[in-house]
This record gives sequence, C-alpha cells and structure tokens, in this order.
Amino acid sequence: MGDTKKPDKDGGTSTPSPLNPKQQSRRDFLEGAGATAVVTTAVPVLGISAANAQQADNAASAPTTSIRLTVNGVSHSVDVEDRWTLVELLRDQLDLTGTKIGCDRSECGACTVLMNGKPVYSCSQLAVWADGAEITTVEGLAQNGQLSTLQQAFVDNNGPQCGFCTPGQLMTATALLNNSQSPNSDEVRSALVGNLCRCSNYNAIVEAVVSAGEKQGGVA
Amino acid sequence: MKTLSNINASSISDAVAAAQQALGNGQSIAFSGGGTDLLQQIKDGTDRSDVIINLRNVTDASQITSNGSGTAIGGLITLTDLSGSDVSAVLAEAAASVGTPQIRNVATLSGNVTQRPWCWYYRNGFNCYKAGGNECFSVVGENQQHAIFGGGPSFIVHPSDVAPALVALNASFVVSGPAGERSLSAQEFFVLPSQNPQQENVLAPGELLSGVNIPSAPSNTVSTYHKIMDREAWTHAEVSVAAVLTLAGNRVEAASIVLGGVATIPWKLDAVESFLVGKELTEAVVREAGALAVADAQPLTKNGHKVPMTSAAVERTLMSLASV
Amino acid sequence: MSEAKFSGLEPLNTIGNATARVDAVERVTGEAKYSRDIKLPGMLYGQVLRSPHPHARIRSIDITEASRLPGVRAIITSDNAQIVWGAGSISGGRQYNDPTKDATLHRRYIFNNPVRFVGDSVAAVAAVDRNTAEAALALIEVDYEELPFVLEPEAALADGAPAIWPEGNLCPDFRNNFEPMVSDIGDVEAGFAEADRVFEERYETGFIHNAQMEPRCALAYWQADKLTLYTPSQGISNCRHDTARDLGLEDHQVRIVCNYMGGGFGNKNQNQDADLVAATLSRVAAAPVMLEYSRRDDWLGVHGRWPTVQYYKIGAMNDGTVTAMQMRGYSGMGPYRKNSGGISGMDVYACPNRLRTIYPVYTNRTTSGNFRAPSEPHGFWGIESMMDDVAYKLGVDPVEFALKNMRRPTDDRPFTNYSLDEVITTGAEQFDWASRRRVTPGSDEGPLKRGSGFSFMMFRAGVGTSSAIVRVDSAQNYTLFVGVTDIGPGAKTTMGMIAAEELGVPLSQVEVVSGDTDRCPYSVGESGSRTTIQTGYAVVQAAKDLKQQIAAQGMPSGSEVLIASATPVPNTDGKTRQCFGAHFVEVEVDTRIGTTRILKYTTVHESGRIINPTTARDQIRGATIQGIGQALHEDLLYDPASGQPLTTGYYRARHLTHLDIPDIEVTFIEVDDGYGPFGAKTAGEAGIILAPAAVANAIANAIGKRMTSLPISRDKILGVLA
Repeated sequence: MGDTKKPDKDGGTSTPSPLNPKQQSRRDFLEGAGATAVVTTAVPVLGISAANAQQADNAASAPTTSIRLTVNGVSHSVDVEDRWTLVELLRDQLDLTGTKIGCDRSECGACTVLMNGKPVYSCSQLAVWADGAEITTVEGLAQNGQLSTLQQAFVDNNGPQCGFCTPGQLMTATALLNNSQSPNSDEVRSALVGNLCRCSNYNAIVEAVVSAGEKQGGVA
Repeated sequence: MKTLSNINASSISDAVAAAQQALGNGQSIAFSGGGTDLLQQIKDGTDRSDVIINLRNVTDASQITSNGSGTAIGGLITLTDLSGSDVSAVLAEAAASVGTPQIRNVATLSGNVTQRPWCWYYRNGFNCYKAGGNECFSVVGENQQHAIFGGGPSFIVHPSDVAPALVALNASFVVSGPAGERSLSAQEFFVLPSQNPQQENVLAPGELLSGVNIPSAPSNTVSTYHKIMDREAWTHAEVSVAAVLTLAGNRVEAASIVLGGVATIPWKLDAVESFLVGKELTEAVVREAGALAVADAQPLTKNGHKVPMTSAAVERTLMSLASV
Repeated sequence: MSEAKFSGLEPLNTIGNATARVDAVERVTGEAKYSRDIKLPGMLYGQVLRSPHPHARIRSIDITEASRLPGVRAIITSDNAQIVWGAGSISGGRQYNDPTKDATLHRRYIFNNPVRFVGDSVAAVAAVDRNTAEAALALIEVDYEELPFVLEPEAALADGAPAIWPEGNLCPDFRNNFEPMVSDIGDVEAGFAEADRVFEERYETGFIHNAQMEPRCALAYWQADKLTLYTPSQGISNCRHDTARDLGLEDHQVRIVCNYMGGGFGNKNQNQDADLVAATLSRVAAAPVMLEYSRRDDWLGVHGRWPTVQYYKIGAMNDGTVTAMQMRGYSGMGPYRKNSGGISGMDVYACPNRLRTIYPVYTNRTTSGNFRAPSEPHGFWGIESMMDDVAYKLGVDPVEFALKNMRRPTDDRPFTNYSLDEVITTGAEQFDWASRRRVTPGSDEGPLKRGSGFSFMMFRAGVGTSSAIVRVDSAQNYTLFVGVTDIGPGAKTTMGMIAAEELGVPLSQVEVVSGDTDRCPYSVGESGSRTTIQTGYAVVQAAKDLKQQIAAQGMPSGSEVLIASATPVPNTDGKTRQCFGAHFVEVEVDTRIGTTRILKYTTVHESGRIINPTTARDQIRGATIQGIGQALHEDLLYDPASGQPLTTGYYRARHLTHLDIPDIEVTFIEVDDGYGPFGAKTAGEAGIILAPAAVANAIANAIGKRMTSLPISRDKILGVLA
C-alpha cells in the first residue's frame, strides 16, 4: 500500500491543511485571502449571479406561510418558506424520504407524488401550493404493514433495479390502477411516460403494473 | 432557490391587483398556473421574479362555456382537462401532446401559450434577446432546433402546442390587466422578433392571458394536431401542424393550417390555405400543399432538415383528414 | 410477459431459479435509505461553486462577503484546500492505486487552478440549510482570466491548439510518455498489399452521460480522526482506500457506508471529489456535512463516456476474408484523464494483421470516464459498422462474414469454452435473419423503409480476486459479509444465492451484510463485469471453508459461531475466458422525417451459468436500451464559440421514455466452463456493447446509406438522404 504519509508531490506537508484543525483554526481558514475582486458576468452563470446575490437570502427574511396539508392520511400544520418545494417539505421537514429528487426540474419523474389523487412532480410544486391538499407518497401505499398489490407485483417482477425511480413509478401506476381496470401494456406505458428509468428496466416495470392490474381486478 | 414570496389569488382581478401592487413596490412578478416551467426557470436563474402570484385557486377562469357565437375557455383550465374536452379535436390533441401526465395535471392553457422559449442558449443563461440582451447566439452556433420561418434577429421557435391549435381555430386571446380586459387576434397577440425580439407576445408585466374565445365552426369541420418529436413523448415539437378543415365530401371549403416548432410565432400558412380552397384532398394536391408550405422557408446552417419535415408533416396531416 | 429463454443447463437448488431481490421490499416501500436520505443531528448542507468558463486562470477568490452570511459555517477554495483527488486524473487512465498515484503527472485537485472546463469546481460552502449555501455561493467573488479553449480531440492535437497542460494535449501513458496507445499485431502493410480491395471510412461518436437517476452527493462526518462517508458508491473498498490515500489517512480511519444507491454505471466506483469536498467541509465546520449535487452539477462535475473519432482501413479478399485491419482513434477525455479512453472491438476478429493506434486527448469539455463497458459500445459500433459495410460491398451476408472472420480458439490461445457460433446462428434463426434483412440495402419502396442489422461480440469474463466472510451460529443462521452495494443488478441477492447453493441451505437462511467497509471485506466493486465472478467465487471458497469447519467440529452451540473467510486468487489455467453475444435488430426508418423505430430486437447471450434468471434478463434488457439511447439520441452538445455545454440533463439529451422502448427478446445459452462460481460469467455490460452496432447496421440496411456519426438523429438521416 505504501506510505500514505509521504508528502504530496507538489504540495508538501507544509501546505496548511484544513483537515488538521490544530494547524489552522476555522477563523484563520475563513479569513481567506485576496483583495476584493470583480465578478465577471460576461458569460452565462446558471443560477448564480450578482443580481441574485443582492437579495442576500437568509432564513430570517425569507417569507413564510402557514399551511395545512394531509400526507398519507396524516394531517400536518406547518410553517413553510414560500420558496420551499413540496418535495423539500416532504423529505426535509416531514422526514418522508421515500420520494426522490432525480433532477429537480420536471425532467425525470422520480419525485412523483399524488396530489388530490393525481400524479404531479413534487419538485416543481411550491409547498405553499399544497395548502389544503391531500398528498400520497410511496410511504402511504402499504396499509397495516401489507404491501399493495402493485408493490408486491414490483417485488415479484423485479420492478426496481437500483430502485431510485421506483417510488415515482409506483405513485403514477397507483393512480392509473385507481382509475383503470386491467390496463394493457400500451396503456401502462402511456400513463407512466412521465417517469424515466435510467437502469432502463422499463419492460419489467410495465410487466409488474400489468400483472398488478390483472390481480387487482376491478377499479379500487 | 432565491427568496420569493407567494401570493394566492382568488380571482383574475385579484391576481391583476396583486401584481400591480408588487410592481408598484419595485418587485418583479410572475403568474403561476401549473408552475412546472416557472420553477425550473427560477431555479436556473433565467427568471428572477420576487413575487409569484399563484392562480391555482382561481375558480372562475378554468371553465368551458358555449354561447351563441362560439366557445369561451378559461385560461386556467388544465391541459389534462383540455385534452379531455370536446371543443375541437385539434385543441384536445394539442393539449394531450404536451409533456407528461404529471405536467398536464397542473399546467394550464394560459401557461402553455405564454411559456418562454426553450432555446438552449436562452435556457442556459446566455444574455440573448430573450434574456433582455441584444444578440442571438444560434445564428452562428448550434441552430438545429431553431426557426425556418419568421426569424430575425432572434430565431427561437415558439414552444407552445396549444397556441398553433388556437390560432388554427381563429381564436381570440383575452388579456386581463390593470386597464381591464381586451380581446386580441392571433396577429395582435403574438410578436415577431422583427417587431420585438425580447418578447413572444404583447403581454406587459402584470398582464396575463385569462382566456380564449373560439368562434363556432360549421358542422362539417374536422381538425387534428400532428406533432413530430425527437422521442415518443415529453418533448417540444420539432415540427407540428394544427389543421382545421371544412370539407364537403373530400373537397375543401375552408382551411386553417398553422405550424409549430418551426417558426418564431405560430405560423399560419395563408398561401397553402388559399391553394386548398375548392380542391379535393388528393395525394397530388397535398403534395403541392406541402411544397407550398415551405416555399419561403429560410433555413439556417444546421436546421435545414426542418424543411422536408415540414412538407411531409403538412401532407400527412391533410391526408389524415381526407375523407376516405 | 416477456420471458427470457434459457437452454443448456438445469437449475440447481437455488442458482438458476428466478428469485426476487432480497431487498426489493425496502425499495418499493420507501424504507430504503439512499445516501441523500440520511440525516444526522447538526448536519450542514454543502454546495459547490463551479467555473462558468471552459478554460481560465483564477486570479483571486474573495470569500469575505460569503463568509459573513448568517448560517455559513465553512468555505473552502483552492486557496485553502489543496486536496489531491487521485482517482480524478491518472497517467495512463488505469485503475487508481498507489503506484499510479505516485506516478501521475497531471494531478487533479478538488479545486483546480486553472479551471479547465465549464463546471470545474472552484469552491464549496457548508451552511445551515441548502438555500443559505446556495446564497453563499453567489457571494463568492472570483476573478477569472479567460484562456483560449479547445473542444474536439483532433483540433486539440493540431499545431497551435491551446495547451491544456504544459506538455500539450495528448494524455501521457502510465509511464508518463506522451505516446498514443498502440497495439500492433502481424504486418498490416503486407495485409493491405495482399488484399483484393481496401476500404476506408471515418466514424465519430458522441459523449454519453451515465445519467444515473441518483445525483451525486456525500455525507461526511468525523469522530476524532475517523471519517465516515455516506456516499453512493459501487466500490466501497475502492472508495475507502482512495479517500484515505487522498487525505493522508490510514484505511482504518475511513469508513464508507452505502446500503442503497441509485445507479452509476461506472461513475461511482472510485472515490469522487464530492467525497473529499464533503470531508473537508466537515472537518473545517466541525459538523456533519451533506454535500448535494444538482442534476447539472452531476452532468458536468462527474463524467460520461468519452466521445471518439475512429478512422478505419480494412483490407479484404473478394471472398470476404479480411487480410488487414487498421484503426486510428481519438478519444476526448476532457481535461483530466480519469480512465482509459479505449476503443475496443477489433480484437473479436481473427485477422492476423491488426494495427490499432489510439490517442487519448485532453479537451476543455466535461470529464470523460467509465460508463458500462467503457471501451466497447462505441468501438464495436465503429468496427462492426465498417465490417457490415465491407460485407455488403463484397456481396457477402454480414452473418456469413462474421462467421468467416471472427476470432476462434487456437492451440496457442485456447478458450475455457467457445459459444460464438451457436450464439450467432441461434439468434439468426430466432430472428429470421434470412427474411428480414434486405439483400440490397435501401431497396424497400416508399418512404417507410425496413431493414435489419446484426452485431456480435466476445467480452472479458476473466477471473480475479475479492473477499468474502461467512458465519454460522447455533441456530444455523448464516451471515454472509461481502463488500457489495448493489448498484442495481441485484448483487446482494446474487451473492446470497451463491452462498446458499454452496452451503446447501435455502436462501432464506442466509443474511447478506453489505455496504459498509467497517463490516465487510474487500470487493472489487460492481464494475467491469466482475462482481459475480470475483466476489461470487470468494463466496464459494468461504462457504467451502465453513463447511469443512462444520464437518470437522460440528455445528456451533450456544453462543458459539464459526467463521470462514476467503480471498482466493484464481486463474483460468492460461485460457481466455469470454462471454459471447449477438444482437439482431429490425428497424423501420421514416425517410421523410428521419424517425427510426425498432420493430424487432432479438438478443442471444452466453454468460456462463446464470445465477438469477430474473435479474440477468433485466441486465440484458436494460443495457440494451441504454445502447439504443446512445445509437439514436444521446450526446452533449457544446456551443463552439463560448465552450458552454448546451444539452445537459434528461430533457435535452432525449433519454428514452416508456413509450420509446421495444420488446427485447432475451435468450441465454448456458454453459459451465468449470471456472468462476458454478461457471457463472457476466451479464452486466454485455447488452450495451452490441446495441449501437446492431441498430446502426439495421438503419444502414433500411436506407442504403451508412451513418458514420452517433447519435443517428433525424437531422443526420435526412442529411444523407437529401
């Protein structure tokens, strides 16, 4: 393995290292270097700009709103910052981390939840817009420790590969099966088109939903 | 995300008033229907609004009402609802072709018609015309997805599917603002870059598209929306055709054909329409219509493929409406 | 339901039987905790500031304003955090290890100056919440001096190109010589002289992002001098060792934990700079730090498959025998050589005269790195497009051409077993190749043209080392400790099934403990098609050892346990070990609008003995679909004037949706060659290798024109037909 304490090739052990707090205090660390510099804005700087900076966001001045919403049958009263997305509320404040953030831009579907029974991208809904809504997430599918027919079908048909898109696929498919009887594979594909799977386990996912639809029989 | 505040509007007039107040305080505002595109732009920094006026709870602007002269559609109708409506096939099909079910469940007619361009320069934060600058980077750059009609000095393609359908239906566009309501024709509502490269429509800050009015059509009218995408779904049109034909048997009595995906505004094919009137929809006729549709196309360095695509799309759309 | 077909072997007790994943329930209930789901008390949130320029020197960084923002707890930049990221740039692009770390000339740090691509990391902030961290980034003032940049590998090697590194833009090899990678077999000049005809063509492929659904993140915290990282990793042992090395720690001072991860396909194997940035922020802030990447951060800050240019020259006799093969290739590596830049595929041919010269080149694009079969899909597409073209020009059926020219075992280079004939002929028959391919390409009437194409391969299935520990208690419950994380193929289940089979117990009696370097021994990392073969074999050996102990001492009683471990170093007795495959595709091309639709897709693979038929089937289907995406859609376009990336993300790159997916027929021909665990080989990378070539050859057969640029998008099809 070699001697891991050998000095780095061009840094040497004399470079102050933030890894060793004894060498350099946090205060020293934060006292940075250099004179004030000018930010060049001649090129696109996505999401980050001097204009944004002038608003000097911090939690004390960010507008908040009190909202009430029901998540998986449980009622919540919560103060949210107006800028929080629904998925942030679910994951960060309500500790429901089953819903995933894949892109945060409505391009992948991993964040799909049901809002008043309809699939929506929770990354692109402000939490405040969910005031008064009924939200269902993947944590709300199993009842009394029993997997839903759809969840069981995913287990039986190798629905998840890495599993990251799975909660979103399940939510959209749950809405489909709530409204359709035994959809065929074309109908399943159309309904789930807004849920990507990069493992590309599409065929198995469709097989699972079709199978669940057949087992479930009538409209729920 | 940057700091912003949300105001829930209870009606269109409430929304307009809230906008005026915010603008008066020196804040920038955005109206939000579904919110999916707006939030993307805010996260990416290409929209810097301070105040979002949420229209989700407005109940008086999402209905479809018929009256003697036609149909009024509230601008806040969701695309899911619009896709299931029976106002006109072209409109329902256009709405159904947008995005995905998750997007359509919240996105609105108004939001879709007034969405900002999807040009990859604009959306990646380049300081182009659409961002308030004075340059179009596509001209000497990557312009595979840019306009072959109506371009200059900006070459974005109008990104809406619902807009070409509405224009084909001869809709009027109802704008609500501080001075009240006014009704505009498509020609008045949409803006060519040669008129103003920074905007795609005439809406001033604080104004919104609150509805459309679609005049009645004769009973022998058929319509459809044909959209070509670079994957089977979830993409803006490479080329689309909104066609509304009044047919006597297979003979065209009236035609309204509007292109999407290829022009800076919904592109009405006046010459093709005139050509078709009085003709039978045969293969030879639709072929000539397809050629006429691109007669004045002006491709850039990399979007020439849109020319044959447009011809093919026009031909196929017309043939699909022909009486068998 | 689309069942896969299996032939050749009977299922064993556990192995060979369709088995649900052992952790599927956690994945479908939301209970599975992925790295970003984990919250620790006092956790801070981290964000990275990235360069807006493709190439620039940083004159200064001023963090004064940012530091004053309430809630900011740490800011690190290249001024105060010079941490080398060894796995981020390696001379020769080989597996990162101690010798390569010491040897590497062009070092990459967590923050670099100059910055060398749009997205190169400049600074990082830890703050009490995500929005504060983002706001702090906006307050960091960086003074850049812009430098000229270059985006394409051939341009980067031309005279006068901007030098990304002092020695120019050719990547050095592992000896730090600035030479291309050369493989020179036989005598190509003699081969060309002997040929009846010589063919030449240029091919190019795009950058394919791994695009795994789970964006990069890393949660770091320190307890005294021990670092724990919750990070999505497909190789926790590698990540631990890399991280320890980079931070100047001993291995035991670093713990990597990953129980669930959302894909990676090769970009989560070694450590990533996110791990080091999180660790550093955490040290400075004296608190746990969750560093989060946005999707754009991931697209630009991690990596994807290298774009290539490939020039082929093939000499052949009129009867279809190939006499000489030559390729000159260029791989665009981005400004750091993270991996090899290889372009493979020529070696599946038997031609005795083969010269391959590959230039891995630095460019100012985002970094290139390993993506599922790192050197293969683009290379197989290039050579098999070329050979398909040669076959048709000689009037030979491509399948016959392949059977005539493909590599076979020889006396001096024997294989452990060889199935390629059977794989190809089985596929051709199942697909009905004879009817579906157009003998005259492009001969269909009308605008909708159909055609069929095929591709074939052999691919490494060699053996190697890993470790496993297995334990039994007095209740006869077995626990298997393996350093896998299950990136998606089902490694936990596969390892459990192998253990159960060898131990002679049902799978339900085996608990698999994985994903934690404090508890699990070395595993090679779920990459390179090695886990089933290498870690699986270690599982077998450990189980055998345990059975011997049980035989000698009897089952444990009371609180006793028996433990066995194994770190075997197997070999294949000098024989080449390969898996084999062939794909057959029929497409319909709409020649008026350039759309390609796949009508039929037949795959046949020999991947040894299949451990779990269900997950193996879905590895083939999933990898094949990724290959279709590479063939038809995916790329990362840059604006030439500004060096800015234009098509990051799933929408811009047009990733395939549910509605784009064809049915994919899967057939496994099973063979036990006596090596590996129960004769298992690999299925993880096999599907993606063949798909671009098969789809492209089908398109060529349909339209009668050869597409020489991937992705085969509609504008390119309309361009050749215009």
